[in-house]
Amino acid sequence: MGAIFENLDKIINVSLIYATFRSATPIIFAALCAAITQQANILNVGTEGIMLVGAFTAVAVSYFTGSWVAGVAAAMLAGVLIAMIIGIGHIKYGADNCAIGMGVNMLALALTKFCLNVIFGMNGSFSSPDIQPIPRIKLEFLKDVPIIGEIFCNWSIMEWVVIVLIFALQYLFYKTVWGLRLRAVGQFPVAAKTAGINVNKIKYQAVAFAGMIGGLAGAHLSLGYSTQFVENMTSNRGFMGVAAMYFGGANPVLTTVGCLLFGFADSVGARLQAYGIPSQFVLMMPYIVTIAVLAISMAIKISTTKKRQSSLN
Amino acid sequence: MKKLISAALAASLALSLTACGGNAAPAATEAAKDAAPAATEAAKETAAPAASEDPIRVCVVYTGSLGDKSYNDSCNEGAQKAVADFGIELKSLEGTTAEEWESNLLAACEDGYDLIIGASSNIADYITEHGPNYPDTKFAVIDTTVDLPNVQSISFAQNEGSFLAGAAAAMFTQKTDIPGVNEDAIIGWVGGMDIPVLHDFFTGYEQGAKYINPDIQILQAFAGEWSNPLKGKELTFAQYDQGADIVMNVASGTGTGILEGAKEKGLYAIGVDLNQDADQPGAVLTSMVKRVDTACYLTIQSVVEDTFAGGTTQYLALKEGGVSLTDFAVMKEHLGDKFPQDIVDKCEELAQKIAAGEIVVENYEGFGPAK
Repeated sequence: MGAIFENLDKIINVSLIYATFRSATPIIFAALCAAITQQANILNVGTEGIMLVGAFTAVAVSYFTGSWVAGVAAAMLAGVLIAMIIGIGHIKYGADNCAIGMGVNMLALALTKFCLNVIFGMNGSFSSPDIQPIPRIKLEFLKDVPIIGEIFCNWSIMEWVVIVLIFALQYLFYKTVWGLRLRAVGQFPVAAKTAGINVNKIKYQAVAFAGMIGGLAGAHLSLGYSTQFVENMTSNRGFMGVAAMYFGGANPVLTTVGCLLFGFADSVGARLQAYGIPSQFVLMMPYIVTIAVLAISMAIKISTTKKRQSSLN
Repeated sequence: MKKLISAALAASLALSLTACGGNAAPAATEAAKDAAPAATEAAKETAAPAASEDPIRVCVVYTGSLGDKSYNDSCNEGAQKAVADFGIELKSLEGTTAEEWESNLLAACEDGYDLIIGASSNIADYITEHGPNYPDTKFAVIDTTVDLPNVQSISFAQNEGSFLAGAAAAMFTQKTDIPGVNEDAIIGWVGGMDIPVLHDFFTGYEQGAKYINPDIQILQAFAGEWSNPLKGKELTFAQYDQGADIVMNVASGTGTGILEGAKEKGLYAIGVDLNQDADQPGAVLTSMVKRVDTACYLTIQSVVEDTFAGGTTQYLALKEGGVSLTDFAVMKEHLGDKFPQDIVDKCEELAQKIAAGEIVVENYEGFGPAK
């Protein structure tokens, strides 16, 4: 324990800020993907699968075309296609969200494994110098500014995109007509229908939009965060995203706070391991945080519902 | 609108199917072409000595995925060589979770293979548990020892190879004229799962580093998974942030992220199991090569030549060529004049001393040559 206090400056320092954001970014994308459908009252258990298909498509298309833009665009399209399985299954045929979501996750795992073998003749992973990664933005003018330079000067484009996306979605949900309709459809579909809103149309739009964001999340994993595709490379980030979405009640900004908590737990854990904390304990931290975050958000939800009810009486 | 969407969906599905088919067809025929002559050759070879007997059936159960460019791929190379040399029938079963490992092993047992190879120490417990139920099946386990009459074990002196890697890292972190190398005498080490074999690696790494510089600080971390490169990358970045400039990976598929992280930051890493020097050229100083391929090949050979001896353990140390460092060639080319030749010379000297028994490298509890 003593070693931890002696080395506190190496555990809690400026680089921890970017590390937290870096490891949270994939989860933020995933959480936003889940938040969009949640607003339409569709629980998106398939986030993990959508991401995985996006990650594979991004690598494959970037490899064959030599263009990361094409890779990202294709990943978003692939995300929409996979999300539509959930959309059609749930909206048209009334399938259970959890069942169809898990189905999509398993399908994605098997499909990417199969395509990896058929298209590239590889097992397990694929990497090549021909894969065009998403470029990083080097802010040269910030480079010499202390602290700020260290935090901001070398971000991936996708890390800037996710920040824009958080606020764009916040605006879309709460300040636009479409957002109002989306929330109406989610909260009280009968009322929405009475008001002349085409409920199913809005739901399909939400699922398609979520698929795009999920695909983008995958593309970030395989072309931004790293430049390779590895089987099951999402490693439960999709599920952590869904948990964070619950924490934030599908509100993009609050959801992001939950994701940053995960990122922080992960990054501090990575630094703590060097000083004799058992690895098993450190590796448990993100999951403990997941449970804690969900417990807190549920407690808040229950107390606010109670308050509302008592003010009605 | 709904019709439009479904029409678009159907069209794109059809497109993607034809695209897949287009790619799949030539690949499949190519594979078939490759396989056909190989199979006939193999058949000829086995047919000659073994006179119309069925080929020996071997199943390798991996605790991870192929394509890790490390441990598992090395094992597969040995197995593929045995296919080419002996014409055996080979089946590879991959799995990423403990449940999969056990069910794969059981499936192989039930399928009546002549030899089942457990590719890593992760599977040892399951062989100990189920091996006695299949007394007529020959088992082999690589990287650890299982004491059963029908199990042959092969393990390595990874502590000796890691000693050299640790010494190389400790010397390298002092070369501040090489770009990226800082003043601090801190080096890193990132492992896959927290299992005893990896501690045998670390024991040697630590001893080797301290042999060069007793005051050196060594950062240790485990990813807890064999195939999560992004986690490996984050752990490596964390160690770089804490002052390390070179990090050794012992992490199979997780390790690809460690090497990628080194390249991305313009810093350095050490490869493991296979020669990984060229995976991220200029970022990998050397690799601690562990001849898993030799172990796998020798085991299959022992069954082919009927010298399989259950209940025995082979120990492949530095002396026997079971472990070694690479020749640093890729790094030499990358650094040019700045390349510190003294590291290579010193490592060779240390290797000779270890082989001669002048330096005794410590083992983690439960490892080392059979007494």
